[in-house]
Amino acid sequence: MKFARRAAYRTAMFVVSIFSVVAIWELYKIIGPQDGGKFFGVSVLPRANNTAMPHISTMLSRYSRPEVRGSDKKIWVVVLSGAWFSLRLSLVGFFLGTTIGVGLAILMARFKIVQRGLLPYLVMSQTVPLIALAPLVVSWGGKLEIGSFVWPRWLSASILGTFLAFFPIAVGTLRGLSSAPAAAVELMESYAASWKQTLFKLRFPAAVPFMVPAFKLGASGAVVGVVVAEISTGLKGGIGRLIIEYAREATGDPAKVFTAVFGAAALGLIMAGFVAISDVFFMRNRPKESSI
Amino acid sequence: MSAVEVIGASKIFNQGKTQQVDALVDVNLTVDQGEFVSLIGPSGCGKSTLLRLIANLLEPTGGSLMVNNKTVSQARLDQDYGMAFQQAGLFDWRTVSKNIELPLELKGWDKEKRSARAAEMLELVKLPEFADLYPWQLSGGMQQRIAIARALAAHPPLLLMDEPFGALDEMTREYMQGELLRICGETATTVVFVTHSIPEAVYLSNRVVVMSPRPGRITSVIDVDLGAKRNEDTRAADGFFRNITAVREALRGTQADHASANAIRGLEDR
Repeated sequence: MKFARRAAYRTAMFVVSIFSVVAIWELYKIIGPQDGGKFFGVSVLPRANNTAMPHISTMLSRYSRPEVRGSDKKIWVVVLSGAWFSLRLSLVGFFLGTTIGVGLAILMARFKIVQRGLLPYLVMSQTVPLIALAPLVVSWGGKLEIGSFVWPRWLSASILGTFLAFFPIAVGTLRGLSSAPAAAVELMESYAASWKQTLFKLRFPAAVPFMVPAFKLGASGAVVGVVVAEISTGLKGGIGRLIIEYAREATGDPAKVFTAVFGAAALGLIMAGFVAISDVFFMRNRPKESSI
Repeated sequence: MSAVEVIGASKIFNQGKTQQVDALVDVNLTVDQGEFVSLIGPSGCGKSTLLRLIANLLEPTGGSLMVNNKTVSQARLDQDYGMAFQQAGLFDWRTVSKNIELPLELKGWDKEKRSARAAEMLELVKLPEFADLYPWQLSGGMQQRIAIARALAAHPPLLLMDEPFGALDEMTREYMQGELLRICGETATTVVFVTHSIPEAVYLSNRVVVMSPRPGRITSVIDVDLGAKRNEDTRAADGFFRNITAVREALRGTQADHASANAIRGLEDR
């Protein structure tokens, strides 16, 4: 009963927050300057005209019209199939990122020397611009030969999703694994428990509250990685490709690009939603204040 | 056969470094089967260190320790002792009975045997109706009783306790002391019990071991002559206060030693 009330409250807050964003957008269109606000020649306020900021209603109604003039393919079908394509790539990237991230975290928790040696490189890896990395991954993948395995182009996009996903997962899991109280570790020692037993019976359960937010970051990171990779490698079929294609038509059909942008945002939400559901499952029996 | 035998045990932290701490120097102690022995003394006297040496959670720098005529490391591997700390330290994600089953799980017991034993332990600590609740739904005193049930789940002959009632209020504390005596009487468990509280040590123990700091050592051992059967009336008995005074005076001695601690250490080193 309590749970149902909280769920209803959360849903209501979600709806309210969406409506307030819509209201602010439309309000700005009414009071904002049509050709942008300039201050000493520097434009500081965005243009409120219909080319730069289409009405929300225009964006939504754009979904029901064809993608290109004369085509019978409605744009929502195109965006949906693009989102589905990117979602699958993101899931592959997320699962690879989870495997690598959790694996690295276990290694770092087990061997302090690995932690000290590896962690700086992990931090450094995240400073490499994704755009620079994307073509490299594609060309490395192309050169890769493992028996009869042929590197598909989409896998490069997934790998870039992995690249963004594994870092928060590794760091969050490592923090979680180290969060088990010293007394609990001592207790396991007094039972002569092996490291593996301590890992699965104490460290992992204790890590869950730290892993959930890290996995949420990782899940949305995987989406960002895949979308950016689609854009910079020109991979066809996904939502990233749609965003650049539609952006080119921004002057003639300004609402079009927003249909794809919303699709990408929805992807991130769906991925984070998966993690949130698993959070509810794993934390169902924990004291409420310990969940982050 | 003695339950615990400590022969000339020493523990020095950071040996040879500037922060060297002589936590324990040349400690000798024998605890008999079924005996209840308390370790008491001011902070830093090494009572927790001694308990951890017996538990084999720390390695001694010198001397030797035996539990049930085995080396302490073998005793730990065989789970010859159970342990309870100041924090109950129950796992939030496990139900009460699953918490009690933890040491049995690690020993590789099968499921039926485990849950039967957990039910038996819950009867022992008089909390059978709480089996399927989670620890955070219980009061501090109940949590500590579950921790004792967990420590005794594998029926170890020895129970090591590090200020287990230190975080409880006075009323709960006295109740828990009575419960602990009852449980140990029923299970014939030997107990080594670390505490700060003089009345607690006297009420529970057959012997009170008084320790002093810098360096940590045993200064005196007081036999508590209150008999085997103890109850709430014991707390009002003349003998109770006489024993408390005896322990208090022994502890005062350790305070007076503070100034001359280094001189004594110099002597002992030779």
